[in-house]
Amino acid sequence: MIAAISEFANRLLGRGEAAITVPSFDGALKPNQALEQADILFECEAPEDVATDGTSLLIADGVRLIRLSGNSATTVRTFERPISALACLPHGGLAVALGGTEVRLYDNTAAETPATAFSQGLHAVNALAPAADGTLIATDGSSLRGVDDWARDLMELGRNGRVLRLDPKTGAVTQLAGGLGYAFGTVASDGDLLVSESWRHRVISIAPDGSRKDLLRHLPVYPSRLSPARGGGFWLTAFAARTQLVEFVLREPAYRRRMIAEIAPEFWVAPRLRSGDSFKEPLQGAHIKTMGVMKPWAPPRSYGLVIRLGADGLPRTSLHSRADGVNHGIAAAVEFGGDLVMIAKGPGRIIKLPLASLGEEARA
Amino acid sequence: MRETLTRLRYRYWPDHLLGEILSKRWTETAIPVILLLIVGFALSRSLEHFLSPASLADTARQAGEIGFIGLGMALVVIVGGIDLSVGSIFALSDFCALYLLDVLNWPVPAVVVVTMIVGGLLGAVNGVLIGYLRLRAFITTLITLIIYRSAYDLLIQRYSNAIASAFPDIPSWDFIGGGTVLGIPSVALVYIVIAIFGHIFLTRLRPGWHITAIGGSRRSAYNSGIPVRRTIALCYVASGVLTSIGALFFAARLGTVGGDIGVGLEVIVLTATVLGGITLGGGKGSVVKSMVGVLIVLLVTNGLTAMNARGGVNRMALASILLVAAMVDIRWQKNRTRIISKVYVAPTYHALPPPPPTEIGKGGPFEQNDRLRDVSLIGLGRIEAPEDVILDRNDVLYAGSRHGDIVRFFPPDYERMEVFAHIGGQPLGMAFDKEDNLYVCIGGMGLYRIKPDGTVEKATDETNRSIYSVNDDSRLRLADDLDITDDGLIFFSEATVRYEMDEWPVDGLEARGNGRIICYDTKTGTTHTALRGLKFPNGVAVASDGQSILFAETFGCSIKRYWFAGPKKGAVEIVMDNLPGYPDNINLASDGNYWLALVGMRSPSLDLAWKMPGFRRRMAKRVPVDEWLFPNINTGCVVKFNEQGKILESFWDLKGLNHPMITSMREHRGYLYLGGIANNRIGRFKLDNADPNFVQYDKRWGKSS
Repeated sequence: MIAAISEFANRLLGRGEAAITVPSFDGALKPNQALEQADILFECEAPEDVATDGTSLLIADGVRLIRLSGNSATTVRTFERPISALACLPHGGLAVALGGTEVRLYDNTAAETPATAFSQGLHAVNALAPAADGTLIATDGSSLRGVDDWARDLMELGRNGRVLRLDPKTGAVTQLAGGLGYAFGTVASDGDLLVSESWRHRVISIAPDGSRKDLLRHLPVYPSRLSPARGGGFWLTAFAARTQLVEFVLREPAYRRRMIAEIAPEFWVAPRLRSGDSFKEPLQGAHIKTMGVMKPWAPPRSYGLVIRLGADGLPRTSLHSRADGVNHGIAAAVEFGGDLVMIAKGPGRIIKLPLASLGEEARA
Repeated sequence: MRETLTRLRYRYWPDHLLGEILSKRWTETAIPVILLLIVGFALSRSLEHFLSPASLADTARQAGEIGFIGLGMALVVIVGGIDLSVGSIFALSDFCALYLLDVLNWPVPAVVVVTMIVGGLLGAVNGVLIGYLRLRAFITTLITLIIYRSAYDLLIQRYSNAIASAFPDIPSWDFIGGGTVLGIPSVALVYIVIAIFGHIFLTRLRPGWHITAIGGSRRSAYNSGIPVRRTIALCYVASGVLTSIGALFFAARLGTVGGDIGVGLEVIVLTATVLGGITLGGGKGSVVKSMVGVLIVLLVTNGLTAMNARGGVNRMALASILLVAAMVDIRWQKNRTRIISKVYVAPTYHALPPPPPTEIGKGGPFEQNDRLRDVSLIGLGRIEAPEDVILDRNDVLYAGSRHGDIVRFFPPDYERMEVFAHIGGQPLGMAFDKEDNLYVCIGGMGLYRIKPDGTVEKATDETNRSIYSVNDDSRLRLADDLDITDDGLIFFSEATVRYEMDEWPVDGLEARGNGRIICYDTKTGTTHTALRGLKFPNGVAVASDGQSILFAETFGCSIKRYWFAGPKKGAVEIVMDNLPGYPDNINLASDGNYWLALVGMRSPSLDLAWKMPGFRRRMAKRVPVDEWLFPNINTGCVVKFNEQGKILESFWDLKGLNHPMITSMREHRGYLYLGGIANNRIGRFKLDNADPNFVQYDKRWGKSS
């Protein structure tokens, strides 16, 4: 009863859960334009994920799997459905998720037939990571909406993301965690699993016994895929940033319902991977070009961000592409050679920044 | 169904009035008045003789006596002080009057004058101590309260018998005490006269303004040259004089010098003052508030007495009222502006049908193209915010800037620039009259005229006040665009009467018809409102028949036509509605059609929000303005239309890199000149198939250059 009253009062006054506060980019997240200075390695239609086996880069571009060594790109193979996640396994193996509903394991990139395939109960697999015990960890964003329909899942306050363990030996799929607000990205860390929970703006760590703990909370962004960094720590990508308007809309059920029903998804008041393509997109006050310039501090409809986490899981430094930038929608980042290679889904680019240029915090 | 209910609710329930009423200064008086009415009504129901003439006359007498003291207290409180010694001054004045009359047998006029002088002197002690020697008002008047009371006690020990034994029978003295004129007690009449003077004094005369200014901010008042010390001192003198006037009437009515006269009077008067709404912090208050406060307090105490409440209960009730009133006063003063800003914004229901297509490949008159891509730029980085542009018959280009200037660029290359005139506000729409005067709408200022030699004159900045508007809408807030008829009538739009120019997004959020079309007659110099209730009226152009104007409603996404003369006089017709964007200025094209700037384009998310007023109201409260859902004014286009409401062609700039915003366009000798209020440039675009000799001035006024 008291809880119901206080919830009602919160909604009336915009307090507590109803508050639309978004933490500011501060401390290690202080904005810069580092991503705008990145070199373009390769441009393609629909980059989705990137992985490396140490000698070359594998890039998932729609249905194509592309190998990038040096400056030459070769299509390794094409699948019948778009690749939604990619992972290089130890000993030259390859794992791909297709359309979010199927995961295939190959012994090598050229193998004709998959060694193992999982499809049962998979719905929106968006990231794969090898675990130390030889199994494969997959994050399944939503059990209602497909991988490409994540904005709808956000607008419907989706809370059914899962973390799954796929065992290639037995073919078993075990659920390690459920009820997540869009699980998107995972990495193994000392026996624990770090998982990005996008809609709750946090990174959680899941212990082998299944207990969860918040590693990083109150992020001003929607975190996505994780990858290990040399020298300990991780690279955490964020495919979009939160804005007060979106947070407000998330607390307005009637408006969301009608928006989902009446408006095309690309014009929703929701985070996107790219923006500014059409005047039908929602425009916020600070977006108005004044004297011919849109200010970089404008609330970002799309944003580019990679955060370097230390081994303790705390942010050390970050690379940004702000509201007036182009390299938005960074969904994956891996270290390759002396570079950090990232996928900018917004402009459809593979970009790289030399690690040496990123300062002390990014390397330690 | 639900949508219909929403529509009806927002159509008939005037949400916007609450904020407008609250932001009126008289609401602060209205609350005590309502309280007074409630108390009066309750008492008249519970007490039998409450409304009998005798009872009313008695109340009026008491109210008059206390009312004088209340006026004095109001002055002192408004100037930022407090006077606790009124009770003792009252007692001493009472004694003074009766002593002079009964013991010394002075004539009544002399008694009256001397008593008032004594009251003034007693007040002057406070005044000198507080005003000139800068002592704290509270402690000073507390001390004089004690000293005066002791003096009174000493005096009555000696003279009370002499006074009590005298029974003066002087008609004029009796008239002061109990006389009536047309049934109204003398004291009440005098009080009314003084109260009316006091109201004029406080609101219309210089010393009254000085008093309010000092109470509001003593330091600022000092800095602006107001004699702070003298004014404060005089307020205490006035308080003493007014108290002694009250005492005179009291003395004439009762003729006693009892020991308890004036005891606790300061609490009664202070309660009345605070209850009336005169802020203890100073700087705010009025005579009416003081009067209402006195009446409430008197009704309550008399009512309690009539209901046989004991003296203790009576005082307890007064003290409680004082406490509550002071508390409400403090909270209200602190949160007033916040509360008003929260309730002032009142979005309404505004439904538009789905817009016509603009996408490439979908066809239709609005199909996007890239014809404006090669706009050349004039004054890039040298001019800011040229909302409108205009050319005279010598090809000189005029534009406004946000620095409050009209700048002009000279042909042939429009490189040379000079400030033509400085006005001070943001220039918006512009038009030349027959005599080459440039009329300009200035946001926040009104309609101005610039003569060919550059002299600036105000044409008009006010119109008739509408009867049903709560906000005073006589001043022009956002004059936007104009055109001049053959008869010298200037029709101009005022985009909103509820917000200032920089607050235009709030008006867009409300989407209510807050704007109007105003007419200024250059021959008579008079101004009147022609149309009201328009959704951000913007561009104005005289139509070809010379009897009507075309005007754009920006947030109504429509073009309408209004006949100001001829057989259809007064009629308003829709020329085009459901435009895909927000129309801005309208100007004549060389082929007799009209150019229209679409300053921005509609987005489905805002169209939906416009159908959901509650959503927008909450957004206004919780989301900072920079993050609000805005009308998209980053992309726009220029279209040509005719009077039948047909779009003939459209000009787009897909990337918007060269000229991001278009609020206005002007055709001149085969070129189209583009203005944009958020731009730092003027665009120039070569038109195909346009008359290379077209000059709007010549065409409009039938001259040739």
